[in-house]
Amino acid sequence: MDADSDVALDILITNVVCVFRTRCHLNLRKIALEGANVIYKRDVGKVLMKLRKPRITATIWSSGKIICTGATSEEEAKFGARRLARSLQKLGFQVIFTDFKVVNVLAVCNMPFEIRLPEFTKNNRPHASYEPELHPAVCYRIKSLRATLQIFSTGSITVTGPNVKAVAAAVEQVYPFVFESRKEIL
Amino acid sequence: MTGRVCRGCGGTDIELDAARGDAVCTGCGSVLEDNIIVSEVQFVENSGGGSSAVGQFVSLDGAGKTPTLGGGFHVNLGKESRAQTLQNGRRQIHHLGNQLQLNQHCLDTAFNFFKMAVSKHLTRGRKMAHVIAACLYLVCRTEGTPHMLLDLSDLLQVNVYVLGKTFLLLARELCINAPAIDPCLYIPRFAHLLEFGDKNHEVSMTALRLLQRMKRDWMHTGRRPSGLCGAALLVAARMHDFRRTVKEVISVVKVCESTLRKRLTEFEDTPTSQLTVDEFMKVDLEEECDPPSYTAGQRKLRMKQLEQVLSKQLEEVEGEISSYQDAIEIELENSRPKAKGALASLTKDGSVEDTASSLFGEEDAEDEELEAAASHLNKDFYQELLGGGVPGSSEAAGGPAGGGRPPALESLLGPLPTAASLGISDSIRECICSQGRDPNASGDGELDLSGIDDLEIDRYILNEAEARVKAELWMRENAEYLREQREKEARIAKERELGIYKEHKPKKSCKRREPIQASTAGEAIEKMLEQKKISSKINYSVLRDLDSKGGGSPHREDARPQERAGARKLSRRKTPARRSGADPVASVGKRLRPMVSTQPAKKVAVGEQALLPSPPSLEAEPVRPTAVVVESGPVSYHPEEDADEEDPDEEDGEPCVSALQMVGGDDYGCDGDDDDGY
Repeated sequence: MDADSDVALDILITNVVCVFRTRCHLNLRKIALEGANVIYKRDVGKVLMKLRKPRITATIWSSGKIICTGATSEEEAKFGARRLARSLQKLGFQVIFTDFKVVNVLAVCNMPFEIRLPEFTKNNRPHASYEPELHPAVCYRIKSLRATLQIFSTGSITVTGPNVKAVAAAVEQVYPFVFESRKEIL
Repeated sequence: MTGRVCRGCGGTDIELDAARGDAVCTGCGSVLEDNIIVSEVQFVENSGGGSSAVGQFVSLDGAGKTPTLGGGFHVNLGKESRAQTLQNGRRQIHHLGNQLQLNQHCLDTAFNFFKMAVSKHLTRGRKMAHVIAACLYLVCRTEGTPHMLLDLSDLLQVNVYVLGKTFLLLARELCINAPAIDPCLYIPRFAHLLEFGDKNHEVSMTALRLLQRMKRDWMHTGRRPSGLCGAALLVAARMHDFRRTVKEVISVVKVCESTLRKRLTEFEDTPTSQLTVDEFMKVDLEEECDPPSYTAGQRKLRMKQLEQVLSKQLEEVEGEISSYQDAIEIELENSRPKAKGALASLTKDGSVEDTASSLFGEEDAEDEELEAAASHLNKDFYQELLGGGVPGSSEAAGGPAGGGRPPALESLLGPLPTAASLGISDSIRECICSQGRDPNASGDGELDLSGIDDLEIDRYILNEAEARVKAELWMRENAEYLREQREKEARIAKERELGIYKEHKPKKSCKRREPIQASTAGEAIEKMLEQKKISSKINYSVLRDLDSKGGGSPHREDARPQERAGARKLSRRKTPARRSGADPVASVGKRLRPMVSTQPAKKVAVGEQALLPSPPSLEAEPVRPTAVVVESGPVSYHPEEDADEEDPDEEDGEPCVSALQMVGGDDYGCDGDDDDGY
């Protein structure tokens, strides 16, 4: 579609979630007492550690599994994860950095036009679902990419997917449909 | 008949006799098969002379009743799980549907949805009530009835978003496209609730027109339909001179007051609101509006731009003011006696010295410097907006000594905290160099230390003193939780000592009891009582007597030390004895309600029912076991009836008692007390 090439849509990645394993048992108490930016949730059994430089919050379990959230790009996520592992190493644990995987990417994108949601839902029946009673946005799922888009009537779209490429592809895919149901500015 | 070979002679000529169900070899006569299961239709003769086919209808879904060939009586008394689930579901659907006033067709459709859901295993892991509600709402949407999800959640007392989730899942799995909700559907319903009387129709029509107008003005996308309805109805009511307060409307429509007000304000912003009532009915404005959120966004943008323009102007004004200030100051300085030479350098710092020296020297430069300093200090935050480091006023001053200013500024403000002094130079360097790093392959498992700065990470680790302080703080914060844990442990240890510590194992589902196999009713009762352990005080000998003969004193001992030696003596109290007598007989083969053992105490306390267990009636019981009513639900409660009937019985001792009475009609009745006890 010509509309595709005209406008350069900037997709802003707001959150990248990743997991990795340290393959060693971690003593949460020790981390909690000697770490600088940690919150120890003893009732649930995890430690939250926040890094400043890549702004990252990591959830650490004693089994050695760690989830990192808050990064703004895949590289940054990996970098932050490695720093975290390094700091754990310094605390004295035999840490091995394995199974790093980016699990979820959240991005935001803005269309320069508004969208007619009921019309859009009608044209994209199986993929799109719209319940105004529950949520003001249309939920559009792409099974092949395993991505979900939330399309608002103002034209802003929130995309979540397994990695950055899928997110970009999802926006590309949905653009023509959204363009069809746009509201013409008179 | 497949070509089978006879075992004896090897011949292939085998004859099947359908009637006897045999397969016989015609050569040697040996019977190859016995009791063959055939699939022929058999007919039996009815009492009326007609003939009907033998067999049972079996549904497609379930396997139906599997007859136990020579097995126990009560193996498959209930149907299998699937059929039971469907039956249960059907009952719940009807129950809920009647509360919503749905017609039969809708309920049937809902049941079909439910069947589909069950076959796709969507009921697993979900509360049945949620699934039922989702099925019903799906029907409502497809039929277009004015039922909201909120109604269903009201009935079930469940969070509406939970229901919504289940509903969405159901719609997706069953591939049913529920048509979008049109707020116009709700108008008649809400109008009816708001009681407009005769003018109901007119008000509805007006509200509909308003809604359509709202739709065209883009107010309805992404909004709850009920909120829009509320606003439309409120305005329509006012237009027709009905006084409906906001409170009344929101109680009907179920939105928040602020939501309603917001919708009204949005509507106010549209040009339609400027029309009078008559005009509105006649004319329909052509132009459309933008959605409110869009206009809000636009407004914000405009505000921002305005701000920027204003700030620029402000700067200029400020610059002028500061220049006047500086001029005045300079004059003052000039008028004061100046300290010269070494003293001057001693009293002031280096930065001021510069300005002082420049005082003597270039007054223009000094002016500019001071201006620059002042403007820099004043408008620091404006610079962010404009994105420019150069204050506008200095440009206005004209001919700035561009090269001279930056160092002067620096020296003016004193030694700025440099990266080095803060000690974060490493981090900054690392940050910069981290861009060029290529990601490490995660295959080897070793931690790639490139780009990771150890120094900073060290800062993440507290030293001894800090660790102690932190431990102290954490302990104080979570003191309560720790205390609870300790108490729990102490309790467990104590119980262990005493030997009464119960390990709380996860609840196991109760085992299916084996069916009781007994030859006589009495034996069955006995066995069942043993199993159920209802009362250890029941005199089994008497129970047996029940069975064997009709007369004799049904002597029953109970928790209450009430003597009933003289069987004919009838006390005017409800005795559990009678009930316990009635119960086993009545509930052979079905779950006994645990009322029996606890009820005695209660009924004694109540003592109001004058149910007179007459021995004759007890006698009558075994005689007529078939007349016993097998109840599956609460039995109706007829105290008066019984009371009347009891009186003559008391005297005569007639055996003719109604089945209800015999069974103990009001004993089984649902007294309020009973339920409370459980």
